[in-house]
Order: sequence, then structure tokens, then C-alpha cells
Amino acid sequence: MSAQVATKAPTPGRDYGYGNARVRGMRSRLLTAHYFDELMCHTDISKIIGMLIQTGYGPDIETAIIHGRTPAAMDEALRANMVENFQKVMGFLNAEAHTLVGTLLGRWDMFNVKSIIRGKHMHLKPEEIEDGLYAVGALTPTDLHVLVGLEDIRAVVDTLVTWESPYAVPLRENLAAYGEGGNLATLELALDRYYFSWAASRLTGRRSNTVLARRILGLQADSVNLLTVFRLLKSDIGDIDPKSFFLPGGAHVDEALFSTLAAMSDVDEVLDGLKNTPYARQLEAVIATYVDEGSLSVFERALEDFVMRKALDAGRGDPLGVGITIGYLWAKQNEITNLRIIVKGTSVGMPADRMRKELILV
Amino acid sequence: MMDKRLTKVLSAGVFLTALLVPAMAFAAEVTAPVAWQEAVGKALAAGLAMGLSALGAAYAQAKIGSAGAGTLAERPEVAIWVITLQALPEVIVLLGFVSAIMIKG
Repeated sequence: MSAQVATKAPTPGRDYGYGNARVRGMRSRLLTAHYFDELMCHTDISKIIGMLIQTGYGPDIETAIIHGRTPAAMDEALRANMVENFQKVMGFLNAEAHTLVGTLLGRWDMFNVKSIIRGKHMHLKPEEIEDGLYAVGALTPTDLHVLVGLEDIRAVVDTLVTWESPYAVPLRENLAAYGEGGNLATLELALDRYYFSWAASRLTGRRSNTVLARRILGLQADSVNLLTVFRLLKSDIGDIDPKSFFLPGGAHVDEALFSTLAAMSDVDEVLDGLKNTPYARQLEAVIATYVDEGSLSVFERALEDFVMRKALDAGRGDPLGVGITIGYLWAKQNEITNLRIIVKGTSVGMPADRMRKELILV
Repeated sequence: MMDKRLTKVLSAGVFLTALLVPAMAFAAEVTAPVAWQEAVGKALAAGLAMGLSALGAAYAQAKIGSAGAGTLAERPEVAIWVITLQALPEVIVLLGFVSAIMIKG
């Protein structure tokens, strides 16, 4: 990317002692479940800001609330804190961990590129698009600022091609199809497929760290594939082959199982088809909630929860492996998500019990 | 990679020692060593005891040092613990030194 030349090269080798010790130190500063409970006791956002300003979020919050103590300002502060933390961690990882974690964080690049092209498709203002971006992958804040400022999707793709970004490949290949039908899903699906193929190709090998990173990537791919299956249950795709929605690189859901599940007619059948996978228990636990609410977001939430807990567990068992870092990054992301839920929930008067249901507390 | 190489070297060392010690004992029974052979043997053994224990301590201190540096970067308040842990492997060298003195003595 444009600014990547200036970034520090990772420490050569596979010594995890230094990096993991730092990550453990950072992990010790994560907020506890008890602290979240205390935050949810307040009904005024100013009090929440007052509490958070005394934590590691203080400097970012102080900068962001200059223009007012609003949820939007807090959102900005939390985003800035997450980006700083992720970049800091990437800065001290050894070469092997840098490659593995960088590949997993590539999903944030994909998320950012998707947000930008979505924003361009909907003719949003650059500031509105930039508000939803997280520069925690290979694309730096400067790169994202440049992309957001471009005129349209074609210009974004051309710039990514110039930067030799891997995400330029699927976008360039599908730009013509998007131009004909104006269907954004074409580009988004192409990006998804490309990312999971690209990441799986980088995570090959039998070293325990690589296997761990590949497992996390596989769980993410499975999660997206299963959500697609649930969405297909409720939609009529006509003559389109369901396989065209399949993302490669899954841990438990391969193309054959995906095709079988996609051909099923209701949720119960899908859950039955998943009985030999670790997702069955997780999804069966929320089936009653799904029946009550009728929303697929119940499954989405359950799968997110599952992947999150598996990523958090990655650090257990190997104190000198990449799992410690993966676990921390996911825990940090989860903490930011929890804080955003509390800030937004409090600002709209959401009851604490309702907020607690939305949080993933570990 | 380094760990595997070290493990191989140590395993080879243990294996050779296991072979050599009975052989030397057997040789000692057959013919009593002359003075210079005994002196050279003791010097070699003392040198090995000192050198290998120093290498072991150095390896341990390198690992503890890098992890300690990482800990201090994030939590300077635990500096005393890090310094204590960093000094612990020195005991290995001391034990090697004592062994060497006993062999020579």
C-alpha cells in the first residue's frame, strides 16, 4: 500500500517470548465483567465517559470529546483506541506471527474496502464512510483516507491496482459485471471469496501456530457460510447455483456440506445436517429465541459468539505461540464492541438487562 | 529450529556419557590410570561441568530476558520480579562451578 513502505519490518525469527509478554501485559489492562456491570448501572453517558476516562481509553476519549460528550465522539475514541492497540501489537510481533496475524487481520482490510465501495455505491459523503472504517489491517489510515476521497468505485479499484493490493484482483475482475447490473453484491461476494482463498493460501503448513491461525480462519469462513445457508432458506434465488455463494477455507463446512445444507427447506433440517459439527450445540441453544423473534440475527449472534470464544481460547495451552496474540486481539475487539453497545444503549435509554444480553462477557 | 538442535546436542551428550562412564570404570578396573591421564580427565570433566552449565544458564537468561523486556515495556511496576527471575539461572552456573571444584578437588 502507499504508506506501507514506511512501516517497521517485523523482528525476524520465531521468538514469542518478548511479544507474548507484552501482549499479556496489555491483556491485564482489559476491562473485567464486573467493570462492565458498573458501567451499565449508569443511565447518563457523561458518567460512563467519566469512568472510562480513568482507564486506558482516557487519552483517546479526551481527544474525541473536545466537540462534545456524544455517542459519536465516544465511537470515534473507541475506534482510535482499537486501531492504536492493533497497530502497536503488529509493531512488535516476530516475522512468523506478523504473517499469521496479518493474514487474519486481512478481514479488516476486506471490511474497509467493502465499506468504501458500499459508501461510493450509495453516494455517501467521505466523512460518513470514514466514520465506519478500522485501519487495523495492511491498509493504513492514510490509505483509507485516500480511497474514501476518490470519486467512485472505479477510481477506488484503479487506485488499489496501482498499490498492488491483493483486493484489487477480485474487484477488477468483477467491475464489468457490477457496471452492467449495478449489483453491489457481485463485488462484495468476490471480495469475500478472494479474501478467504488468499488467506487460506498463506496459512499452509503443519507448524502448530499456522494450524491454529488456519483454524480461526476456518471458523470465520464457516460462520459466513452458515449465515448464507440460513439466508438462503428465506430467499428465492431462482436459477442461481447456491455453490456460487460458498466461501472456501472452512474448518468444518466444506462445499459438499454447504450444498446439502443450502438445499434444505427449514432451520430444523439445517441443524440436523450440522449435528456432526461443533456448531450444532451452539445453534440448537438459540433455536427457541429464533422461534420467538423470527430473526436470523439470532444465529448470526450465536455464530459470532462461538468464533469469538474459540479465538479467545486460542492462547490456552501454548504460552510461546501465536495464540496469545490472537486471543488478545479478539478480546480487545470484543471489549470495544461491548463498550459501543453500552454507550449507544445508555444514550437511547436501553435497560441494563437488555444491554447485558447483547454483550459477550469473558 | 534452535530448540530442536539443542535437544539433539544434549541427547547426544547424555548418550555418549552413558557409554563412556561404564567404559572408563571398566578401564579403571583393568589398569589404573597414570597420573597425567587422571589429571587430564578431571580437567576435561571440570571444564565440561562449568561450560555446559554456563551455556544452560545463558540460554535460560536469554529467554527470560526477552520475556522480561516485554513485560517491563507494558508493566514497569513488576521490575523487581523481572530482575529476580533474570538472576535465577545464575544458580545453574554456581552449581556447575561447585561441581567443577569437587571434580578437581
